[in-house]
Amino acid sequence: MAIPGLHLTQIGRDNFLLEPSRSLDISIGDELVVAILQRLQQAKAGTLYYDLAELPLIEPRYYRWLNMLARACRAVNVAMVCIRMQPTAAFALSRYMEGVPDFAMGQEVTQ
Amino acid sequence: MVKQTKNTSKILTELLKLQIGNITERIEREGQTVFGGSNLLESDEIADLCIQFLQLLVALLESRDPDDDASPQFHALEMFFNNLSKQILVRGGRIEDLVRYIQFMQHTLIDALGEDEKIKVDDARTILLYLSSLFNELILAVFQAYLSEKERTIWAQEAELRETSTPITEIWDGVLTLPIIGTLDSSRTMIVMDALLNRIASDHASAVVMDLTGVKNIDSQVSHHLIQMVRAIQLMGADAILTGIRPDIARALTSLNIDLDNVTTRATLSDGLKEAFRRMGIQVSHKAA
Repeated sequence: MAIPGLHLTQIGRDNFLLEPSRSLDISIGDELVVAILQRLQQAKAGTLYYDLAELPLIEPRYYRWLNMLARACRAVNVAMVCIRMQPTAAFALSRYMEGVPDFAMGQEVTQ
Repeated sequence: MVKQTKNTSKILTELLKLQIGNITERIEREGQTVFGGSNLLESDEIADLCIQFLQLLVALLESRDPDDDASPQFHALEMFFNNLSKQILVRGGRIEDLVRYIQFMQHTLIDALGEDEKIKVDDARTILLYLSSLFNELILAVFQAYLSEKERTIWAQEAELRETSTPITEIWDGVLTLPIIGTLDSSRTMIVMDALLNRIASDHASAVVMDLTGVKNIDSQVSHHLIQMVRAIQLMGADAILTGIRPDIARALTSLNIDLDNVTTRATLSDGLKEAFRRMGIQVSHKAA
């Protein structure tokens, strides 16, 4: 079952790679979270890698969506790691974020 | 510029042609005094620029409209002084000397005008006003060139300073060090962060050791910038380690209620590097005796 605006691929035994596309609509964020978690639970996933390589900027709304997804993943015992954040996105995000994000950060898929 | 009549342009052109030897000699001599003595220009260069100036002036006077400051002839004259100004500045000359030299050129032409007794008072007045207006424009061109050259120099110096103020060094594969010296204001933070984040991305760095030994004072804004830098480094997936926080800065941070809970700190740069290596699973030890 395809999730609109997202490409979810199993990479290894219990790792998943999530690649957002341009058509991702975070206004239906709740529905997307449910769809993603269903897939992760079915496959008994352990880690979800969220690929941010195509995002030059992360605005507050998108950041809230990332945090929400990370918290939801944690609730079903899946760790979420955002990878390949661009310097421009990190720079902008660091200026308005308060506290620590709910997701872990990494450069590449490590496992 | 002041309106020239066909007649006054002709008078001035003829005057220049008739007294070319005298005018050239005087301008050239002055050029030798101003620029030759300080070795800014060679004798040949001074002679050439004198001839070139008079040729360009004659070309302007013989053009369809000598008052048109948008004409190619006027532009050529303006560019001539523009280039001369740059040349003098590059060689370490002073703008004041060049302006005085241009004024001398004007006075020489006025003197030559006074020596011709056939010129009517009205024509002489128009020519004088024209020359004054023309030379004002040329002096302005020289100042513009001077200012743009100065701006370019300042910009280049700033760029060099920026480069040297962010000495990001890859001290080991994947370990970057950044000694921060002086004050971190908003604009410098942006420059440092931009350079640092791009280095993390290009070098795939997994740890950044930021050494604050050279930071003398800290205020809430600076500490906010520091936390912001640490966050940005972490968002890129790298570890940030702060080292060399002086005791008085540590005290200032506590009074500013800065939360360093998620920031790794070590006493010295050496300790910071050891921590970075430990996290990467690298062990550096003394050679066994």
